[in-house]
Amino acid sequence: MRKFLATFLMILVCYLLQTTVFSYFRFGDIVPNCLLIITVSSGIMRGDRHGLLAGFVCGLLVDIFFGNFIGFYAILYMYAGFLSGIFHKIYFPENMLFSLGVITGVDFCYGFLVYVLSFLLRSRFAFGYYLLHIIVPEVIYTSIVAVFLYPVILKVNMKVDDIIQGSAKKFV
Amino acid sequence: MSSVIRREREKFTIPGKYLLFILTTLSIVLAVITINTNIFSGVSNTIVGVIVVPFQKGATVAGTFLTHQAEKFTTMDKLREENHKLKKQVADLMEANTQLAQDQYEIQELRKLYSLDAKYSSYKKVGARVIAKDSGNWYHSFIINKGTEDGLAVNMNIIADGGLVGRISSIGKNWSKITTIIADNSAVSGKVLTTSDNLIVSGSLENYSKGVINFSKLKDDSDRVSVSDKIVTSNISDKYLPGILIGYITTIESDSNNLTKSGTVTPAVDFEHLDEVLVITTLKQTVNEDKEVLETDSIIPDTNKKKSSENSNENSSEESSGSDEAENRQNN
Repeated sequence: MRKFLATFLMILVCYLLQTTVFSYFRFGDIVPNCLLIITVSSGIMRGDRHGLLAGFVCGLLVDIFFGNFIGFYAILYMYAGFLSGIFHKIYFPENMLFSLGVITGVDFCYGFLVYVLSFLLRSRFAFGYYLLHIIVPEVIYTSIVAVFLYPVILKVNMKVDDIIQGSAKKFV
Repeated sequence: MSSVIRREREKFTIPGKYLLFILTTLSIVLAVITINTNIFSGVSNTIVGVIVVPFQKGATVAGTFLTHQAEKFTTMDKLREENHKLKKQVADLMEANTQLAQDQYEIQELRKLYSLDAKYSSYKKVGARVIAKDSGNWYHSFIINKGTEDGLAVNMNIIADGGLVGRISSIGKNWSKITTIIADNSAVSGKVLTTSDNLIVSGSLENYSKGVINFSKLKDDSDRVSVSDKIVTSNISDKYLPGILIGYITTIESDSNNLTKSGTVTPAVDFEHLDEVLVITTLKQTVNEDKEVLETDSIIPDTNKKKSSENSNENSSEESSGSDEAENRQNN
């Protein structure tokens, strides 16, 4: 329960950063996708259930504020969390490069899906343009931010684990 | 060891696959419901308004402060130079201003004469601050710090720099979401100011990187519309008030059907640096459906004439609430 609470707080902080402060540091009108970083890394660190719940919360937040209807981003983020949960079995906290790779891959899939579902279906066929000007820059920016954000998430999660274990020992 | 914790863990063991399935169905149901009705928007908008918006306000204030501080140092020299130029300009403008003040007086008199008071300079406006921008890179929407508590409502028009920004598309107690005219999924009915030809202005993510958005369906057989003509919102738009400046025509070309023209428009508003916007609290008047029926009825001569005129009187008194409902329905 406390794990979920910690993740939820991190999601809130990230969401606020992404919508407020990062919008002042846009490079070429692109913001990094911090919510996806949180979703994917909690999927990797804690398993698929945790990941998909984190994704669901992230998606709902985005939906309520910026979506045309509730549910679209919730599903996308949820599947991102669930899929990254698959990598939980082969995950080591020390292997940061692996996690960054997963974040990058998932962000690319996410961008591609958003294009297909909300642009291609409205007959915007210039995929090359959207790939080069939106998807790839976002992936690059996100993975750069992830280099700094991922260790923070890892630290917070380890701290939470320590606290939970500490209080578990008290009961003995 | 601790039975407390173990029990807690056992309580939460729904396997991931099932949870995923349940939540997916839930999201799809939510999507269907929110597309068709307006049930959840009130509840969810209030909840997130309480949890998230206060932080966004704080963070935005901090963010603006920081960027302004940073800008202060980088642009000091530039500012000095600009200051000189501007002082000169002020002098020139003062002169022009006195001239214009006279014209203004004249125009007021003329307007009184023609009783054209409902111009867009006389719409009631409320200032608001932008507190959050879209979390993704695909659409250009943002959040402002005022909502229903400040008397705003869905579909109110937003302007800045004297041009059209967009409209309120979703609202909470203390926040509202603005859908901008440059967003890829939005379209505005406009007209060319010089010739009064109607056209559709639609946002485009692809073209906006070049600073322009698209227009289409312009009928201009006699080639009177030209580059740099002003485009304003048209009278027949159902959500935007008439006569608000949208932008200037940048390119124009004939469509392959040889009947209509399309091209690009440079928006009048600088969407990159929007900090404060003005909300026009006047809503566009809309005809509600019942009234339309009545009007078609009244074409049939005499039989129902008296009755229908009575009805339309009643109707006009209820019009404001009815039109709100109609607009809400459209918005979804």
